[in-house]
Amino acid sequence: MDSVTLTAPVRRLKGFLSRNAVVLLLFLIVLAMSGFGAMVSKGFLSLDHVGAILRTASFLGIVAIGQTLIILTGGIDLSVGPIITMGNVFVCMFMNGVDANNPWSFAAILLLGLAFGAANGLGVTYLRISPLVMTLAVGSLVTGITLIFSHGAPKGLASPLLREIGVGNLLGSVPIIVVIWAACSAAVILLLATTTFGRNLYYVGANLRAASLSGVRIPLVTVTAYALSGAAAVLAGTLMAGYTRTAFLGIGREYTMWSIAAVVIGGTSLTGGKGGYAGSIAGTIVLVLMQSILTVMNMPEAGRRIAEGLIILVMITVYFRKPRRR
Amino acid sequence: MTERQRNLRLYVPVYAISLVIYLAACFVEPTFFTWNNNVNLFTRVTPLVLVGIAQTYVILTGGIDLSIGATVGLATVIAASLPFVDTPSNVLLWLLIPPSIGLAVGLLNGLVITRGGFPPLIVTLATGAVWKGVSLFILAEPGGSVSSGVATFVTGTLFGFLPVPLVVLLLSVLVFHLILKRTAFGRSIYAIGGNERVAYESGIPCDRVKVWVYGLSGLIGGLVGMFLSARMSSGDPLVGEPYILNSIAVTVIAGTSLAGGRGGIIGIIGGAYIFDLLNNILNLLAISTFYQYVAKGLVLIIALAITSGGAELRPGRLLRKGRRKELQEENG
Repeated sequence: MDSVTLTAPVRRLKGFLSRNAVVLLLFLIVLAMSGFGAMVSKGFLSLDHVGAILRTASFLGIVAIGQTLIILTGGIDLSVGPIITMGNVFVCMFMNGVDANNPWSFAAILLLGLAFGAANGLGVTYLRISPLVMTLAVGSLVTGITLIFSHGAPKGLASPLLREIGVGNLLGSVPIIVVIWAACSAAVILLLATTTFGRNLYYVGANLRAASLSGVRIPLVTVTAYALSGAAAVLAGTLMAGYTRTAFLGIGREYTMWSIAAVVIGGTSLTGGKGGYAGSIAGTIVLVLMQSILTVMNMPEAGRRIAEGLIILVMITVYFRKPRRR
Repeated sequence: MTERQRNLRLYVPVYAISLVIYLAACFVEPTFFTWNNNVNLFTRVTPLVLVGIAQTYVILTGGIDLSIGATVGLATVIAASLPFVDTPSNVLLWLLIPPSIGLAVGLLNGLVITRGGFPPLIVTLATGAVWKGVSLFILAEPGGSVSSGVATFVTGTLFGFLPVPLVVLLLSVLVFHLILKRTAFGRSIYAIGGNERVAYESGIPCDRVKVWVYGLSGLIGGLVGMFLSARMSSGDPLVGEPYILNSIAVTVIAGTSLAGGRGGIIGIIGGAYIFDLLNNILNLLAISTFYQYVAKGLVLIIALAITSGGAELRPGRLLRKGRRKELQEENG
């Protein structure tokens, strides 16, 4: 079809569709999966269950914020799992079930997340260690610190306020956590689209050399991205503490790989510089829906793993196209 | 820098660090230096070295194999499910089936990655999940058994004094080093990792090479599974999990760039020793596993800071004045 003959609105629509093809396709997949879920189980699309799915998705979605920022710079963050667990365990210890401890607990946990995230970034920029192993090492460090301070048996409770945030609803049926996720999402999408920092993230990921030569302060951008990822991870850990009330040492384990999967399924390129958070939202929802469907179907562990793997494979075949050599 | 200098810069620090840790271990615990303990070390280090070799091949092409842990687990599970009465045909089955399955799993990874043009990280993450599921399906919990003859052979000695694991270790490093440095296949691997486009334009069958590299990774995963099943005399679907990230860590400590195209496998034994000795010393000192995580993280960071060779992915490199000058000259 000759694009010149198209009228302006059609062309604009076509441009919009092709720019956002991945995201749109993913939301279609979400619709299809929801339909399938509704067929498998009657209450699947009830308001309560959709709320529950979105609540679960919020945790992964918030973690995926940090992962998206880092993958955009061409890095990767394998420390999110341990940092989530640290946030989860420490926030319960700090709060000890008392509302009076809230202000300093939130501040302290946020600082810890920022600090370990920044440590990742500093190692990547100044020690010149590749992100994958640097974050792996920091992850090990964080796991150790969490175990040492909790003596391997986490104590403490989420405060009533955090508990309310974790399980409460706004307007009757919208979980507060989902509102927080939505707010964070809006902030990140704006950050990426409108600020210098957001643009620099893309530049760093697309071409480090060019970015450096055109005066982008690469260490600052990189360290900030990793610090934000640390903050996002502790936020997720804290919200999980609100949801489950007590801490659990294994809580972050699956999130490292899931967050990467959510970002990649959302169309952000692992080589950096391409993508955005809107796709990660869709990727998150797809993954959580999939797990929810497998749970509703009472799939045993072995079958679940197989199904998860196959679905991710099918998903990437749907929209990844082999780059042409010429 | 000549090739020789570059190699020295890559390998000397790795072996220096592992030697320091080794000497520290001997200092902490005199029995450490006994032959028996060293044989134990070979047995423990060998699987790590092998998966490190597999991972290095894949990473040199610019890819990554996160399914290697699941491949190892699958191979142990299958090895342990084979009939375990000591007959020659059973031993033959045990020798053939797990590695072949590993090879098939690896080739499949390679085919999916090259045919589809998908990112290796996410493909192997997904196939890893699938094979882990299959292993759990075959054997939900660690169990099964392996013929005793096989088990004693793998943990035994050759000619009465050479421990089999040590032979496997040295032979595999030698063979895979020579393949990498002396064959067209090995050269192609470096070329693809350095710049796939250029490699393709110069007539290297990139896709075919990559498929075989993933196949090789799977094959080695299968062999490691076979080895582990003999050592444990059983199968365990989750036994391979730690190898996923450890294989990558060892590869990187050994000086291979995650961006592909740079590195080699000579340093892997040193890298594996750093990893294993560290746990060993901390255990000897009766330090709680909690602190071991911290120590492992710190040593990994220190070792990497010392050995990091300089890859595109490291923005800090651009900060150094000399480097910036170089760039300005390059860009006119």
